[in-house]
Amino acid sequence: MAAAAAAAARGVPTRSEVLSLFRSLLRTARQFSDYNIREYTKRRTIDGFRLNRTLSDPDSITSAFSDGKAQLEVAKRQSIIYSLYAPKVKSIMDLKS
Amino acid sequence: MAAVGSALLKHLRLRVQVQAVPRNPSYVLSFSEIRRRFFSEDVRGSFLDKSEVTDRVISVVKNFQKVDPSKVTPNANFQSDLGLDSLDTVEIVMALEEEFGFEIPDNEADKINSINLAVEFIASHPQAK
Repeated sequence: MAAAAAAAARGVPTRSEVLSLFRSLLRTARQFSDYNIREYTKRRTIDGFRLNRTLSDPDSITSAFSDGKAQLEVAKRQSIIYSLYAPKVKSIMDLKS
Repeated sequence: MAAVGSALLKHLRLRVQVQAVPRNPSYVLSFSEIRRRFFSEDVRGSFLDKSEVTDRVISVVKNFQKVDPSKVTPNANFQSDLGLDSLDTVEIVMALEEEFGFEIPDNEADKINSINLAVEFIASHPQAK
């Protein structure tokens, strides 16, 4: 508890903040209209968080977290831009028989 | 001819207005309308049957890559019984949102860590479908 409070004081993201960023990225990924981009964003999010799961150094956790936040902004912006140029034909992967 | 035409038009317009008035719904809601809009079963959405929710939740969890389908039971806990971590739990809750077509708020999603809790939350949520 004391360690967590000390970590928070240094600006290290908490466990729930990290999970919330993960969820936000997955939610944003769902909004892409193009199948390939949607699946890539989802895959990249999951892989990125798995890759950094074992980080223990506060500085590298903080930098990975702010990197993730920057990527979330990019994803949000791009989902809007891609929605303006949505493909007219659905990917065959989107067709459920 | 023109006089006949204008008389006809006036007549027609009058008739259209007379018919249109009762059809136009007023924007002020009466008490019974408010009650129907917010409390009736078809508008509020209906609750899903608990056994149906259980079956669908179990099939979603079984389809999750890292889960051993034989271990999935209605009482399984995601972390202790199925060996999933917190990231997997978030993924499963997102998959459940897609299956049931509604959004689970973050603070509720954080609490869901077993199949029982997921079923309970979804069955008590009117928008789940």
